[in-house]
Amino acid sequence: MTGHGAPRAAGLALVLLLLVACSTAGSAGPPPTVPPGGALIVAADLAFSPRAAAVAAGTPFGLVFENRDGAPHNVTILDGKGVELFVGEVFGGPGWRTYAVPALAAGQLTFRCDVHPTMTGTLVAR
Amino acid sequence: MDALKDGVRVEIEPVSIFLRACVVLLTLATAAIHASLGGLLFTLNGVVYVGLAVAMVLPGPFARYRWLVRVALHGFAAATIGGWLAFGARFPLAYIDKGIEVTLIAFLAIELWLFDGGPRGIVRDLRELGAAVGARLPGQAAR
Repeated sequence: MTGHGAPRAAGLALVLLLLVACSTAGSAGPPPTVPPGGALIVAADLAFSPRAAAVAAGTPFGLVFENRDGAPHNVTILDGKGVELFVGEVFGGPGWRTYAVPALAAGQLTFRCDVHPTMTGTLVAR
Repeated sequence: MDALKDGVRVEIEPVSIFLRACVVLLTLATAAIHASLGGLLFTLNGVVYVGLAVAMVLPGPFARYRWLVRVALHGFAAATIGGWLAFGARFPLAYIDKGIEVTLIAFLAIELWLFDGGPRGIVRDLRELGAAVGARLPGQAAR
Protein backbone atom coordinates (compact mmCIF):
# COMPACT_ATOMS: atom_id res chain seq x y z
CA MET A 1 0.00 0.00 0.00
CA THR A 2 2.78 2.37 0.87
CA GLY A 3 4.21 1.87 -2.62
CA HIS A 4 1.24 3.79 -4.02
CA GLY A 5 2.16 6.89 -2.02
CA ALA A 6 4.51 8.42 -4.54
CA PRO A 7 2.19 8.12 -7.59
CA ARG A 8 -0.72 9.49 -5.54
CA ALA A 9 1.39 12.43 -4.37
CA ALA A 10 2.47 13.07 -7.96
CA GLY A 11 -1.15 12.91 -9.10
CA LEU A 12 -2.21 15.32 -6.38
CA ALA A 13 0.61 17.69 -7.34
CA LEU A 14 -0.51 17.52 -10.98
CA VAL A 15 -4.11 18.31 -10.02
CA LEU A 16 -2.95 21.24 -7.89
CA LEU A 17 -0.84 22.52 -10.77
CA LEU A 18 -3.83 22.31 -13.12
CA LEU A 19 -5.98 24.16 -10.58
CA VAL A 20 -3.39 26.92 -10.30
CA ALA A 21 -3.10 27.08 -14.09
CA CYS A 22 -6.87 27.33 -14.48
CA SER A 23 -7.15 29.98 -11.80
CA THR A 24 -4.58 32.20 -13.51
CA ALA A 25 -6.21 31.65 -16.90
CA GLY A 26 -9.51 33.03 -15.65
CA SER A 27 -9.15 36.05 -17.91
CA ALA A 28 -9.12 34.00 -21.11
CA GLY A 29 -11.68 34.66 -23.81
CA PRO A 30 -12.90 37.98 -25.17
CA PRO A 31 -12.45 41.00 -22.89
CA PRO A 32 -15.57 42.42 -21.22
CA THR A 33 -17.30 45.55 -22.43
CA VAL A 34 -15.69 48.78 -21.30
CA PRO A 35 -17.42 50.09 -18.15
CA PRO A 36 -18.89 53.64 -18.25
CA GLY A 37 -16.16 56.22 -17.76
CA GLY A 38 -13.48 53.60 -18.35
CA ALA A 39 -11.29 52.67 -21.30
CA LEU A 40 -9.91 49.73 -23.23
CA ILE A 41 -6.17 49.51 -23.86
CA VAL A 42 -4.63 46.70 -25.91
CA ALA A 43 -0.98 45.60 -25.94
CA ALA A 44 0.09 43.92 -29.18
CA ASP A 45 3.51 43.57 -30.81
CA LEU A 46 5.12 45.48 -27.94
CA ALA A 47 2.95 48.56 -28.46
CA PHE A 48 -0.21 49.98 -26.93
CA SER A 49 -3.36 50.54 -28.94
CA PRO A 50 -4.81 53.09 -28.85
CA ARG A 51 -1.88 55.31 -27.94
CA ALA A 52 -4.32 57.84 -26.45
CA ALA A 53 -7.40 57.14 -24.33
CA ALA A 54 -9.91 59.22 -22.38
CA VAL A 55 -11.46 58.42 -18.99
CA ALA A 56 -13.77 60.16 -16.54
CA ALA A 57 -12.04 62.44 -14.04
CA GLY A 58 -12.88 62.55 -10.34
CA THR A 59 -14.42 59.09 -10.12
CA PRO A 60 -13.01 55.55 -9.92
CA PHE A 61 -13.22 53.66 -13.19
CA GLY A 62 -12.53 50.31 -14.75
CA LEU A 63 -9.63 50.09 -17.17
CA VAL A 64 -9.83 47.01 -19.36
CA PHE A 65 -6.34 45.94 -20.41
CA GLU A 66 -5.98 43.22 -23.02
CA ASN A 67 -2.54 41.70 -23.52
CA ARG A 68 -2.32 40.01 -26.92
CA ASP A 69 1.43 39.37 -26.66
CA GLY A 70 3.02 36.30 -25.12
CA ALA A 71 5.31 38.67 -23.25
CA PRO A 72 4.15 40.06 -19.88
CA HIS A 73 2.78 43.60 -19.84
CA ASN A 74 0.89 45.94 -17.53
CA VAL A 75 -0.43 49.49 -17.46
CA THR A 76 1.02 52.03 -15.04
CA ILE A 77 -0.51 55.52 -14.98
CA LEU A 78 1.75 58.48 -14.22
CA ASP A 79 1.12 62.16 -13.73
CA GLY A 80 3.00 64.91 -15.56
CA LYS A 81 5.89 64.71 -13.06
CA GLY A 82 6.32 60.98 -13.51
CA VAL A 83 4.71 60.07 -10.18
CA GLU A 84 2.93 56.71 -10.32
CA LEU A 85 -0.79 57.13 -9.70
CA PHE A 86 -1.77 53.56 -10.45
CA VAL A 87 0.22 50.38 -11.07
CA GLY A 88 -1.62 47.54 -12.81
CA GLU A 89 -0.76 43.88 -12.37
CA VAL A 90 1.84 42.49 -14.78
CA PHE A 91 0.61 39.39 -16.63
CA GLY A 92 1.51 37.37 -19.69
CA GLY A 93 -0.82 37.12 -22.64
CA PRO A 94 -3.00 36.38 -24.28
CA GLY A 95 -5.41 37.51 -21.61
CA TRP A 96 -7.01 40.54 -20.04
CA ARG A 97 -7.61 42.21 -16.71
CA THR A 98 -10.03 44.88 -15.58
CA TYR A 99 -8.01 47.21 -13.40
CA ALA A 100 -9.93 49.13 -10.72
CA VAL A 101 -8.34 52.57 -11.03
CA PRO A 102 -8.94 55.17 -8.29
CA ALA A 103 -10.30 58.60 -9.15
CA LEU A 104 -7.91 60.78 -11.12
CA ALA A 105 -7.79 64.56 -11.26
CA ALA A 106 -8.63 66.10 -14.61
CA GLY A 107 -5.65 66.52 -16.88
CA GLN A 108 -3.32 64.80 -19.29
CA LEU A 109 -1.52 61.75 -17.92
CA THR A 110 0.76 59.15 -19.41
CA PHE A 111 0.67 55.38 -19.18
CA ARG A 112 3.42 52.87 -19.77
CA CYS A 113 4.33 49.21 -19.45
CA ASP A 114 6.71 48.65 -16.53
CA VAL A 115 8.34 45.65 -18.22
CA HIS A 116 8.85 47.51 -21.52
CA PRO A 117 9.18 51.24 -20.67
CA THR A 118 9.29 52.11 -24.39
CA MET A 119 5.59 51.17 -24.54
CA THR A 120 3.83 54.40 -23.65
CA GLY A 121 0.57 56.24 -24.27
CA THR A 122 -1.46 59.25 -23.21
CA LEU A 123 -4.46 59.14 -20.90
CA VAL A 124 -6.76 62.15 -20.67
CA ALA A 125 -8.97 62.43 -17.59
CA ARG A 126 -11.89 64.83 -18.14
CA MET B 1 51.00 24.27 -18.14
CA ASP B 2 50.77 22.69 -14.71
CA ALA B 3 47.93 24.99 -13.80
CA LEU B 4 46.16 24.10 -17.04
CA LYS B 5 46.69 20.38 -16.39
CA ASP B 6 45.31 20.81 -12.90
CA GLY B 7 42.38 22.78 -14.28
CA VAL B 8 41.51 20.07 -16.79
CA ARG B 9 41.85 17.38 -14.12
CA VAL B 10 39.49 19.24 -11.81
CA GLU B 11 36.98 19.89 -14.60
CA ILE B 12 36.36 16.20 -15.24
CA GLU B 13 35.69 15.25 -11.61
CA PRO B 14 32.03 14.36 -10.82
CA VAL B 15 31.51 17.35 -8.53
CA SER B 16 32.93 19.63 -11.19
CA ILE B 17 30.67 18.14 -13.86
CA PHE B 18 27.67 18.67 -11.57
CA LEU B 19 28.71 22.27 -10.94
CA ARG B 20 29.21 22.95 -14.63
CA ALA B 21 25.87 21.35 -15.53
CA CYS B 22 24.12 23.54 -12.94
CA VAL B 23 25.83 26.67 -14.25
CA VAL B 24 24.90 25.89 -17.85
CA LEU B 25 21.29 24.95 -17.02
CA LEU B 26 20.78 28.04 -14.86
CA THR B 27 22.30 30.23 -17.58
CA LEU B 28 20.03 28.73 -20.25
CA ALA B 29 17.02 29.09 -17.93
CA THR B 30 17.57 32.81 -17.39
CA ALA B 31 18.32 33.20 -21.13
CA ALA B 32 14.96 31.62 -21.96
CA ILE B 33 13.13 33.85 -19.49
CA HIS B 34 14.76 37.01 -20.85
CA ALA B 35 14.09 35.97 -24.46
CA SER B 36 10.42 35.32 -23.60
CA LEU B 37 9.99 38.94 -22.47
CA GLY B 38 10.40 40.29 -26.01
CA GLY B 39 12.00 43.58 -27.01
CA LEU B 40 15.56 44.23 -28.19
CA LEU B 41 17.18 44.60 -24.76
CA PHE B 42 15.76 41.39 -23.31
CA THR B 43 16.51 39.46 -26.52
CA LEU B 44 20.12 40.67 -26.53
CA ASN B 45 20.40 39.71 -22.87
CA GLY B 46 19.19 36.21 -23.73
CA VAL B 47 21.62 35.92 -26.65
CA VAL B 48 24.58 36.93 -24.45
CA TYR B 49 23.56 34.38 -21.82
CA VAL B 50 23.33 31.62 -24.46
CA GLY B 51 26.75 32.60 -25.84
CA LEU B 52 28.29 32.44 -22.38
CA ALA B 53 26.59 29.09 -21.66
CA VAL B 54 28.13 27.67 -24.84
CA ALA B 55 31.52 29.15 -23.92
CA MET B 56 31.30 27.38 -20.56
CA VAL B 57 31.42 23.97 -22.26
CA LEU B 58 33.59 24.58 -25.33
CA PRO B 59 36.35 21.94 -25.33
CA GLY B 60 39.97 21.97 -26.44
CA PRO B 61 41.99 25.19 -26.52
CA PHE B 62 38.97 27.22 -25.36
CA ALA B 63 39.14 25.52 -21.93
CA ARG B 64 42.30 27.55 -21.25
CA TYR B 65 40.17 30.70 -21.08
CA ARG B 66 37.28 29.22 -19.10
CA TRP B 67 38.21 31.44 -16.14
CA LEU B 68 37.56 34.48 -18.32
CA VAL B 69 34.12 33.15 -19.30
CA ARG B 70 33.34 32.52 -15.62
CA VAL B 71 34.29 36.08 -14.73
CA ALA B 72 32.28 37.45 -17.66
CA LEU B 73 29.21 35.40 -16.77
CA HIS B 74 29.54 36.38 -13.11
CA GLY B 75 29.76 40.05 -14.04
CA PHE B 76 26.96 39.86 -16.59
CA ALA B 77 24.56 38.17 -14.16
CA ALA B 78 25.43 40.73 -11.46
CA ALA B 79 24.91 43.60 -13.93
CA THR B 80 21.56 42.14 -14.99
CA ILE B 81 20.42 41.96 -11.37
CA GLY B 82 21.66 45.51 -10.80
CA GLY B 83 19.77 46.73 -13.86
CA TRP B 84 16.58 45.08 -12.62
CA LEU B 85 16.98 46.56 -9.14
CA ALA B 86 17.40 50.02 -10.68
CA PHE B 87 14.86 49.94 -13.51
CA GLY B 88 13.09 46.58 -13.64
CA ALA B 89 9.43 45.75 -13.15
CA ARG B 90 8.42 43.71 -10.11
CA PHE B 91 6.35 40.69 -11.08
CA PRO B 92 6.50 36.97 -10.23
CA LEU B 93 8.55 35.84 -13.25
CA ALA B 94 11.10 38.58 -12.55
CA TYR B 95 11.55 37.37 -8.97
CA ILE B 96 11.95 33.78 -10.18
CA ASP B 97 14.55 34.95 -12.70
CA LYS B 98 16.49 36.91 -10.10
CA GLY B 99 16.49 33.81 -7.88
CA ILE B 100 17.97 31.84 -10.78
CA GLU B 101 20.63 34.51 -11.36
CA VAL B 102 21.59 34.71 -7.68
CA THR B 103 21.93 30.91 -7.61
CA LEU B 104 23.99 31.09 -10.82
CA ILE B 105 26.33 33.62 -9.23
CA ALA B 106 26.71 31.36 -6.19
CA PHE B 107 27.62 28.35 -8.35
CA LEU B 108 30.03 30.49 -10.37
CA ALA B 109 31.67 31.70 -7.17
CA ILE B 110 32.25 28.09 -6.14
CA GLU B 111 33.76 27.36 -9.56
CA LEU B 112 35.96 30.46 -9.31
CA TRP B 113 37.32 29.27 -5.98
CA LEU B 114 37.66 25.65 -7.10
CA PHE B 115 39.26 26.16 -10.51
CA ASP B 116 40.78 29.64 -10.46
CA GLY B 117 41.99 30.13 -6.89
CA GLY B 118 39.44 32.80 -6.01
CA PRO B 119 39.97 36.55 -6.46
CA ARG B 120 43.77 36.29 -6.12
CA GLY B 121 43.90 33.68 -8.85
CA ILE B 122 41.67 35.79 -11.10
CA VAL B 123 43.89 38.84 -10.59
CA ARG B 124 46.95 36.72 -11.39
CA ASP B 125 45.30 35.33 -14.53
CA LEU B 126 44.24 38.83 -15.61
CA ARG B 127 47.81 40.07 -15.18
CA GLU B 128 49.18 37.16 -17.18
CA LEU B 129 46.62 37.74 -19.91
CA GLY B 130 47.42 41.44 -19.97
CA ALA B 131 51.14 40.69 -20.21
CA ALA B 132 50.57 38.15 -22.99
CA VAL B 133 48.40 40.58 -24.97
CA GLY B 134 50.90 43.39 -24.39
CA ALA B 135 53.75 41.24 -25.64
CA ARG B 136 51.88 40.60 -28.90
CA LEU B 137 51.28 44.27 -29.65
CA PRO B 138 53.30 45.42 -32.73
CA GLY B 139 55.35 47.94 -30.79
CA GLN B 140 56.22 45.46 -28.09
CA ALA B 141 57.11 42.66 -30.52
CA ALA B 142 59.72 44.88 -32.26
CA ARG B 143 61.66 45.44 -29.02
